[in-house]
Amino acid sequence: MSIKFTRTGVPIQMMFKSRVVGSNEVRPGLELLTKYTDMVRLDVWPALLNEPDGYSRLRLGTPLLVLVASILLCAPAMAQPAFTLPAPPFELPFVPPASGTWNVMVGVGGEYAPKFEGSKSSILSPVPIISIRRVGSSTDQFRGSRDSSSIALLEFGDLRAGPAAKIIRARKASDYSELRGLGDVKTAFELGGFVEYFPVDWFRARAELRQGIGGHQGAVADLYADFIVPVMQRFVISGGPRFSWESTKATSPYFSVDAVQAMSSGLPAFSAKGGAHSVGVGAQVSYRVDPKWEVRGYVEYQRLLGDAAASPLVALRGSPNQTTFGVGASYSFDFRIR
Amino acid sequence: MLYRSRFLSFAIALLLAVGSSGCAMLETRQTKLQAVKTVGIISAVGDEFTFEKGGLTGLNERSQSFPVGSWGLDDMIVQRATLALNGRFQVQPVTYNRSAFAAVEKGPIEASVNFIRKDPFKNLVQSEVSPQGLDAYIVISKAKSKFGNGGRKLYGMGFITYGTVLASYHHIHALYEVRVINGKTFDMIEKRVAQPLDNAGAVRLAGPSRLVDESFSPGVVDPARNDKLQAAITDLVARSLSSTLNDMHLAEVR
Repeated sequence: MSIKFTRTGVPIQMMFKSRVVGSNEVRPGLELLTKYTDMVRLDVWPALLNEPDGYSRLRLGTPLLVLVASILLCAPAMAQPAFTLPAPPFELPFVPPASGTWNVMVGVGGEYAPKFEGSKSSILSPVPIISIRRVGSSTDQFRGSRDSSSIALLEFGDLRAGPAAKIIRARKASDYSELRGLGDVKTAFELGGFVEYFPVDWFRARAELRQGIGGHQGAVADLYADFIVPVMQRFVISGGPRFSWESTKATSPYFSVDAVQAMSSGLPAFSAKGGAHSVGVGAQVSYRVDPKWEVRGYVEYQRLLGDAAASPLVALRGSPNQTTFGVGASYSFDFRIR
Repeated sequence: MLYRSRFLSFAIALLLAVGSSGCAMLETRQTKLQAVKTVGIISAVGDEFTFEKGGLTGLNERSQSFPVGSWGLDDMIVQRATLALNGRFQVQPVTYNRSAFAAVEKGPIEASVNFIRKDPFKNLVQSEVSPQGLDAYIVISKAKSKFGNGGRKLYGMGFITYGTVLASYHHIHALYEVRVINGKTFDMIEKRVAQPLDNAGAVRLAGPSRLVDESFSPGVVDPARNDKLQAAITDLVARSLSSTLNDMHLAEVR
């Protein structure tokens, strides 16, 4: 289990997240928005999720579901804090004091996504969610389901920018029959930056550029646009086009087939080059049933392009069409630190 | 053996040194506040009222500002804060350049990196407040909050109409923050943003706010003469101020 932690502004969001759109991606935990959103994110990524069969995920999910259920049963559905904790005995320099009212959000969801990028079959994974943030921090800030974890260090009018990071999970040839004979690809850490622009409340354009370390050493660029339409104050629909570009070093480890792999896998040898990687569309809906309950759903479709789509792994054993569905429900309650 | 004993002594000495400096670093605001006997209160939130449109809007929706200094909101805040703090501190009247404090608005570049920038209120307390020399100054100033899904930010006191496909919703907000600034060193002891009230409902603003009807809108009555609006904003501030001061442990009786 890995834990990432960052400082500052205050609210701490802890999220147990499984697979992300498009198969192998998982989000590293590290998000810190402006002092107004005041968010620090802690993501805990259990190694168990690397298990190929999916059952270990379910076993991990069970105690969390019990925890979630216990909290739901114990926490009163009210605006008053559910409980009060004593003030901490000390304070850390440069870190705002913990005193005040905090909001806890617990929830569960599920994501049905391709087993690996280029796969034609999908698996369902549970997505437990736990977040803790200071009351009043903006929970409504739009966030796309494909966004990397990011820190908005700069805000210049309607423009936000900062570092972004994403983890691409290791791909083991032994995990799935389609990969048999191909080499393993280690976990890749993609580090870079993002810029997003809100010319009006109902439209966002976002660009990310990340450099891979580990499983691939290439560059990846993502472009997203989202129209955000509030149907009612509590019901928001959003969606828009997506485009990805990857360099040869980012594409090759996942889509090339060398001579040795060709012999052992039965696939023809192939050298994947970089370029336009995928194009697609995505949509999200969120409905806040009341101030405590919220449900969300999303769908992301990607069509692999260029050498990613032409790879024998995709052309002969997989599919260039990659669709991910996700749903989730969360419950929030407050507590107070003296 | 001798080597081991010397090493042990050195380790203990090092531990004590680190521990004592650590304790100094980890000094709580309670410890810092214990030395504070005299305070002055500065409020600069109530000079203007903004009107905005958010959600589904046109491309060129601009906010409007109206002067509402005639409401006397800052005087009310100082009066209420004085009452709340008098049990713990000796509150002394101070004079200050209210417009200088009210004019402090963060520049176009803002965000998490701001925490390393020098707080502008420190300089203002040094140069624009009289008398100097009190143990601490409590500065109540406007705060910002994000609103909705986009990048919209609301500031200070205001009214926003949030347009959706099916309906429009109107909210008023009173966004402010409270700083405690050391009167000798001008270091900030603590800063706290006023928290949302219990009745904030579905609105998620980082401060006191509430849903209202259209009669609060500037299109109906000039804000400076809108008694209903004034009463509602005053109520938001009055109810949130005591809980904010309590959260900061400023209003506790010794």
